[in-house]
Amino acid sequence: MNSVASLQAPRFGALGVYAVLYLAFIYIPVLFLPLFSFNDSIYIAFPLKGFTLQWYVNMANSDGLMTSVYNSLRVGAVVAVLATTLGTFAAKAVTRYKMPGRGPVITFIMLPLVIPGIIMGIALLIIANMTGLGLSLYTVGVGHLLVSTPFAMLIMVSRLEGFDKNLEEASQDLGESAWSTFWRVTFPLALPGIIASLLLSFTISFDEFILAFFLSGTNTTLPVYIWGQLRFPTKLPTVLALGTCILVISFFVVTFAEWFRRRGVSLKTSSGI
Amino acid sequence: MSDNDFIWINAVTKDFGDVRAVDNVDMKIRRGEFFSLLGPSGCGKTTLLRILAGFEAPTIGEIIIDGQPMSAVPPHQRPVNMVFQNYAIFPHLDVRQNIGYGMRKSGLSKEEIHAKVDEMLEMIKLEGYGPRRSTELSGGERQRVALARALIKRPKVLLLDEPLGALDKKLREQMQLELRALQREVGITFVFVTHDQEEALTMSDRIAVMSKGEALQVEEPVELYETPNCRFVADFIGTMNFFEGTVTALGDGRAEVDAGPLGTVSAGSPPDHVTQGAGVMVAIRPEKLSITSERPDGQTNMVEGRIGPSAYLGDRSHFYIDLEGRSSPVAVASQNMERVSDRISGGSGQQVWLSWTEESVVLLPPE
Repeated sequence: MNSVASLQAPRFGALGVYAVLYLAFIYIPVLFLPLFSFNDSIYIAFPLKGFTLQWYVNMANSDGLMTSVYNSLRVGAVVAVLATTLGTFAAKAVTRYKMPGRGPVITFIMLPLVIPGIIMGIALLIIANMTGLGLSLYTVGVGHLLVSTPFAMLIMVSRLEGFDKNLEEASQDLGESAWSTFWRVTFPLALPGIIASLLLSFTISFDEFILAFFLSGTNTTLPVYIWGQLRFPTKLPTVLALGTCILVISFFVVTFAEWFRRRGVSLKTSSGI
Repeated sequence: MSDNDFIWINAVTKDFGDVRAVDNVDMKIRRGEFFSLLGPSGCGKTTLLRILAGFEAPTIGEIIIDGQPMSAVPPHQRPVNMVFQNYAIFPHLDVRQNIGYGMRKSGLSKEEIHAKVDEMLEMIKLEGYGPRRSTELSGGERQRVALARALIKRPKVLLLDEPLGALDKKLREQMQLELRALQREVGITFVFVTHDQEEALTMSDRIAVMSKGEALQVEEPVELYETPNCRFVADFIGTMNFFEGTVTALGDGRAEVDAGPLGTVSAGSPPDHVTQGAGVMVAIRPEKLSITSERPDGQTNMVEGRIGPSAYLGDRSHFYIDLEGRSSPVAVASQNMERVSDRISGGSGQQVWLSWTEESVVLLPPE
């Protein structure tokens, strides 16, 4: 009896306390951001002085800040599209074709995931200088592409492995070439994965700091700009306001991506009787 | 090119690495025929079907369909369509879009395609199912949609990869009849892969029995059953009793074989491989053996034995007869045309006679 009851309704015991502490540890520091972004004081300290939207106004009026936001959005968007495209084709190759060296190829694509960002940053910086390319948002983009493609590929591999390869064969059998089969069958079925991959690659690029720090020239992305601003205490509340905006937007984007990914799962079944 | 070699599988071999999936298969399939590839799993029948569809390229050999060599023709340009084992219904499309999928390049207008899909829906008796998603279909309905999706293209050849395997027994038997009737109606050549010998016998005009990548025998169902050409075919299709023997006399369209525990067996129309003094495998179907309690008159082939286990199946009975000097019992199937009790009363252990005609004996090459 006892064991059944405890299975049905676990009591709020040690694990419950642990769970609450865990969540508090993650989210309470983050919640200070919006709290102080509305605080009418340049000092990040209690007690709160009063409500203000001043920092949000400053944020909108700061050219440097808005430029770096715009830079980050541009780099993120381009990286998302390129990483997802590369990741999709790579995933298609490793899931669909019996090619020689499949294992090593996957390993090499995945490798940037485990190489420390600072090492990658230095290596790419050396290359950029050696080749005389110079530092710009392009070099930042290339760096971000390198780290987000493995994620894109991982997402796409799991998506493509999920559906029956007979579907692609059936399409070819019915008269569509490999290319039109991709657009009529593979793409629509992989779409939830593609959306998820776009959003994830964008997010990775948007908040990546180390590579951007090494690889950006005078024109920086947002994280690098914020880091630069931290030296000036008066600018800090503005950064908090921006952080709050990003937090809210990220929350919606990630929720949407996850919703879309889950919705896709139900599309998957093709052979179940 | 005649209708007799509409499809020519010309000396086709397919290797996957070290594994030889299809081994020098050479056969011709007639126009409008219901042709089955029959064999246990791993015998190469599905690989051969995929070679016909163009999904696999033969390592050696060539496929010729209606006089056209196929090696340079990719799957999407071949005049064949396939019904996949799991049906491969597109999950992101509804039934109407699935059936019309292959019509994009047909040159027909939207209205014409719509009408054609309606025609197919009517043919497979799924009128009104057009807007349904594939996830809302039962196994039998999916099978029909897959069939319609392939047949709407009016292929020269329809390839079917165990399309009935996933259905339950009752539905499978119903679909066997429907499929056969449909094939007669549309007149398209069907190449049908199955591991179910009964299914192959029921549906096919001709059957190729495959084992380990080789096509052992290509024949009509009756011939395949009555005159198998090797032990594998004889064993795979139906039940067969085998006895090792030696040819003692040959001539006059008959052969005499010393078959050990079975005694001297007289066989009619011996095949070419039978030679005087050589080893031979004597094969007799259970239902060709007559079982009597008295020694039968006027029969050359007979042997005395003892009834072992038996089973009464209503319309027929199965007996296992122990012969002197033979470890495995002989299977006998007997139609219960009269009340059994009078004929074989003693049950297990009773002394009985088995007899059979010369023509019911099949002589196979020795192992």
